[in-house]
Amino acid sequence: MKASFGAQRPDAVAPGHWSSRLILHGSLPVAWAHCGATAELLGDLYSEQAARAGKDANEARHGINYLTNELLENAVKFRHSATDPIELDAAFVDGVFEIRVRNRAEESVATNFGKMLEQLTTSDPNKLLLERIEANSMSDVPSASGLGILTLMSDYGAEFTWQFEQPHADAPVMIQTHASLCL
Amino acid sequence: MEIKTNDYRVWANGSTIYYEGTMRLSSPEDYAPIQALMKQVLETHEGRIDLDLMGLEFLNSSGINLFAKFTIEVRKLGGVGLGVRGTARIPWHAKSLPNLKKLFPALELQIL
Repeated sequence: MKASFGAQRPDAVAPGHWSSRLILHGSLPVAWAHCGATAELLGDLYSEQAARAGKDANEARHGINYLTNELLENAVKFRHSATDPIELDAAFVDGVFEIRVRNRAEESVATNFGKMLEQLTTSDPNKLLLERIEANSMSDVPSASGLGILTLMSDYGAEFTWQFEQPHADAPVMIQTHASLCL
Repeated sequence: MEIKTNDYRVWANGSTIYYEGTMRLSSPEDYAPIQALMKQVLETHEGRIDLDLMGLEFLNSSGINLFAKFTIEVRKLGGVGLGVRGTARIPWHAKSLPNLKKLFPALELQIL
């Protein structure tokens, strides 16, 4: 499987300009706690840079926190195994917070995620967010409905691209999520 | 009625439910106790319910979904007013709480 979703921007961050790199792994309770801790850390770090660039530090801190938390929570929820590492890179470039998260997922999980992304990246996020919320409210079965990503697209103006790579059939799929948040 | 953890606190005082802290629960099931408290207040107070989120610093997407589902539940019930209070000090309130009003136009939203 090899696929990409969203308008790819390979030059968003020049090679060597990612300024933070983290690798997370651990059981669900441990990893889940680390999502919030990492998100707050990056929020604090990069909001300082944003403030020096004339941006609102409180808005920047929250936006970075929320985006980072959502991407990491998704990676933890849908990763191949608890021992699989989740890689995160971050940078602040020309007023934009850039973040890249990589994790492996089971082929079936990646396939379903890809179907959801196909709809997310070809629809109006404002409209789709409300439609998804309404649909979710009628279901008793919790679902990975993409509400977090839609919230980021609709309410925060975040832009996303995804790349899927599978080394061979039946192998876990490496999913790379790249998000850009204009501060 | 009160739910208290190291990270957040939810409690009801009459027909107003207060939320404070940081909510980053991992699944809709984890939010079930909070959902149950909200449902109990709804069932025992006719006329109007108020949600005071002024102390809720962070809410992940599963949590936002909880409030959205509750809003829709109140809308479908009919005859019950719903007020939501947030603050401009906490950025996600102005960004995401308006979606609740889109789901239920009669909802009274205040971002103070």
